[in-house]
Amino acid sequence: MNTAIAKRRARWWNRVRRSWWGYVFVSPWVFLYLIFGLYPLLLSFFLTFFTYSFPNPANQTFVGVGNWIQGITDPLFWKSVGNIGVNQVIFIGLKNGLGLLFAVLLSRIGFGARILRTIYFLPVITSTVVLMTIADNMVAPGGHIQRWMSDVGLIHEWIFWKSQEGLPMLVLALINTWKWFGISTVILLAGIYGIDKRLYEAAAVDGANDSQMFMVITLPMLRPQLFFLLVIDVINGLQMFTEVFSIGFDVYGGIRNQALTPVLYLYAQAFDRSNVGYASTLGLLLAIMIAALTALQFKFVRSDPEV
Amino acid sequence: MKKPLTFSQVANYLILIGGAIFVIYPFVYMVMNSFKTGAEIMNAPTSLPNKPTLIGYTGVFEKLNVGRLFVNSLFLSGTVTLLNTTLSAVGAYAFAKIPFPGRNQIFGFMLLTMMIPGILFLIPSYIMLYNIGWVGRFEALIIPSAVSVFSIFLIRQFMIGIPNELIEAARIDGGSEPVIFVRVIMPLIRPALATVAILTFMGSWNDFFGPLLYLNKPEQWTLQLGLLQFRGTVPGENAEQIWALTTLITVPIIVFYFFMQEQFIKAFANVSLSK
Repeated sequence: MNTAIAKRRARWWNRVRRSWWGYVFVSPWVFLYLIFGLYPLLLSFFLTFFTYSFPNPANQTFVGVGNWIQGITDPLFWKSVGNIGVNQVIFIGLKNGLGLLFAVLLSRIGFGARILRTIYFLPVITSTVVLMTIADNMVAPGGHIQRWMSDVGLIHEWIFWKSQEGLPMLVLALINTWKWFGISTVILLAGIYGIDKRLYEAAAVDGANDSQMFMVITLPMLRPQLFFLLVIDVINGLQMFTEVFSIGFDVYGGIRNQALTPVLYLYAQAFDRSNVGYASTLGLLLAIMIAALTALQFKFVRSDPEV
Repeated sequence: MKKPLTFSQVANYLILIGGAIFVIYPFVYMVMNSFKTGAEIMNAPTSLPNKPTLIGYTGVFEKLNVGRLFVNSLFLSGTVTLLNTTLSAVGAYAFAKIPFPGRNQIFGFMLLTMMIPGILFLIPSYIMLYNIGWVGRFEALIIPSAVSVFSIFLIRQFMIGIPNELIEAARIDGGSEPVIFVRVIMPLIRPALATVAILTFMGSWNDFFGPLLYLNKPEQWTLQLGLLQFRGTVPGENAEQIWALTTLITVPIIVFYFFMQEQFIKAFANVSLSK
């Protein structure tokens, strides 16, 4: 009995010795993750049960689930969730719709497809702060876009979009569509190039026209790419911060908090009001929502078992 | 024989070229305005510069130590990219090709951590780095990014395609694992390394939030933070400097992009295929 265990142990030890380099090679990630990943996560969870003001950590008092109750009932937090929800529905629909349109059109032309694709991708690689500075200038009252709209008679007076009811999140969604649709185009175009040409030939023999082919072949075959884009968009989009901050809204999202996003609110709580415990709670609430949405997508939208 | 263009092809091109103009125009607008005076930007923002001037650029160089900001940005992005690509490749090799006890468990745990939204780390990381005295130091932005799950995962997916026989042969010849990694693996995974390097460099160069939180001394600012210094309270204030600085930030990455466009686009396409 003992010898059997000893033998097993010896064999195990042998494997460990042979695979020693495996441990060495993964150790940078393991150590860095324990220190800069797991520890902050636990700390964050711990902090949600305290009030903790930043420069003086000594003012730490236990409040139980107080922060959680405050978060769940905080109208400003829900306002920010509503704002980002509206923004993302518009943004995700437009960005991927436009991306799909341009990918399909690009797949139908030969000459010039590469240079056009390169151009559409330009805003994707450019810094958000720079693009928001340009956009801020162009959409401002009296800016380039409004002058043009006024010239063609679409508007009759300058629109102060940052303070007008309902506009900030819509305008930000349009600007972000401009910045990001190129990535959908590139990914969907790669997907279209990967579709077996014989499917289209067979459909042509059966007398299908272009739009029928699109609905029956192209769209279903692009489900993995569309699913991927949707998952990534939801995870990234709900964490929007830099856009709002760098286009010049204050940390409470401007007039009537119209541009307040959850991360902006969290930033305001942590670095403006120094409510670190409460900000941690908001972060966890947001993370739970993102995780739940991602799980829902995997359950209902998922394209096939392999993806 | 060239086939004549059909109506639908002409329509395709019109939409596509329209889209391209729409995408490029703001960049042209930016560069154009960077060569004007503030008054000209206000009065004639959409026309070509009447008398091209460098007043915006000289204004930027007077107010900011642009060379320093550029070096800071480059140092930060370069160090992060080098460390992240190397350490992630090494980790990916272990996960893909060295069977060791506990490997699958560690890998599974790693994939799980990918699902956690980054926002959760923001505050606790700040507190932790504040307590160890890294706020105001480059380490705060370099060390936590020295290796990442995302890079490990991308490189591992690529490495799995390398035949095991190749590595076994090298092992039988007496090569130790680090030697095999450098001599056999590295040359074979260049495309994956390029992908990870491009994505990491871009992310770091364009990062705004990280430097905003951690680099609070002017001599540490990156180009992105420099831009904040010109933000006025009155619309149109500092306009010439703003356009000059945005042009300065954007041009290097666009030049780099046009030379490496295939790699850039592949880098993003690879990400979607590896899922």
